[in-house]
Amino acid sequence: MKWEVRCRETWLHETNPSLKLIVLVVLFFAVLFIHNPNVLINVSLALFVLFCFGTGYPANVLFWLFLPFFLVFVSTASSMMMFGEGTTTWVRWGLIHVTAESFWRGVHIGFRALALGLLGLIFSLTTRPVPLFYSLMQQLKLKPKYAYSFLAAVRLLPMMLEEFQTVRYALTVRGVPNKGVLSKVKRYAIPLLSQSIRRAQRIAVAMEAKQFSGSGQRTFYYEIGFGKYDIWLVALFAALMFVAYYMGVHYPYISIRDVR
Amino acid sequence: MEAKTKGLKLADILTTIVIAIVFGIIYKLWGPLYSAVGAVGFHLDQLIYGMWFIASSLAYLLIRKPGVALLAETAASAGELITGSQWGLEVLIYGVVQGLFAELVFAVFRYRRFDVFVVSLSAVGATIGSLIMDFYKGYIGSLAPWNLALFLLARFIGAILISGVFAVSLAKALEKTGVTQMWRTASKDDYDALNR
Repeated sequence: MKWEVRCRETWLHETNPSLKLIVLVVLFFAVLFIHNPNVLINVSLALFVLFCFGTGYPANVLFWLFLPFFLVFVSTASSMMMFGEGTTTWVRWGLIHVTAESFWRGVHIGFRALALGLLGLIFSLTTRPVPLFYSLMQQLKLKPKYAYSFLAAVRLLPMMLEEFQTVRYALTVRGVPNKGVLSKVKRYAIPLLSQSIRRAQRIAVAMEAKQFSGSGQRTFYYEIGFGKYDIWLVALFAALMFVAYYMGVHYPYISIRDVR
Repeated sequence: MEAKTKGLKLADILTTIVIAIVFGIIYKLWGPLYSAVGAVGFHLDQLIYGMWFIASSLAYLLIRKPGVALLAETAASAGELITGSQWGLEVLIYGVVQGLFAELVFAVFRYRRFDVFVVSLSAVGATIGSLIMDFYKGYIGSLAPWNLALFLLARFIGAILISGVFAVSLAKALEKTGVTQMWRTASKDDYDALNR
């Protein structure tokens, strides 16, 4: 699993997970409402720099993690470029109709997908599940029964992957034909789900016996608070957005201000 | 009887989340497939988009309690995020919105119907949720009209087939394994069987 890849702990790992989540969700919505491609390109570049130097992973890991985002970039952008509405025609070829407006709109949503993807990567690369859920319980008052259920479920992931392998071997040995995506999903999902549900029920009994479902006051093994890096985090992202916006408006790369 | 707790019990929550995490993995693997189909063009990829709503339908069909659909879809998208989705943080937000709309449909039927019709309707609800997000993110409103129509049609049909019809068939197959008996209350037939 990804969180087992060796990495250097950076200051982003030290920030409060709940705060980081809130900051990134706010940024998500901010990116959603940027309609000026110049600003968005700046934001994407800044996030890319943070992704390269802020997450503490070796370059080859970062490269493989980043690769799928190119696919998303291309697939999101191309559909809008070829089939979007616009008035200044560049190319018309059958149903494909590339206009200046649709081209830049395509570039814009490509960059948007990139920025949103990077936000997610930065979060999941610098956040461990255990501190995240402890922080959600302590800072955002998530009910312990939800948080501990989630942590227990995350613990089951390796077991599920092992079972997935077992089912695959079993199907291969028995020569089950490997066709049809949906029937394949079913063939794997039924044994995996039924086993997981049985296991979940057993674990739930044990957890209820240990009062994980209780609603009274709890103490926590890990106390998660705030530190100086949290101030850095908020300051950095505020500065990032401000600079990206300022540069985008005053020193644009292209003359289009709004792609809608 | 055990003491009444407010909302879902821990066993329900844990089961829902575990189911959701299984689908989180499927959601993650669905991403590259979606991109590959998308390369064919003509919005064929939208036909398989519906897989991303299935966690809420299936969890609801199995556990049959209020709040399960929203929790399942949120947890599945969180699982997808944790396993490194190619869309990043976006999936979490989409998941919450889709779960909310699916939950809304079940709430309208007061959590009493568990048939193909209601589940398909919840898939339509989740689709609307995803479209609202796409409207802001992908400017789908500015696609050429014929293209937009194709896009919408493919996504709705795919959602109904996968998260409606297919989810019900999955749930039926799971009922046969007997795992759902663990949290169904005993029916009258069960008592009759004891008295015989």
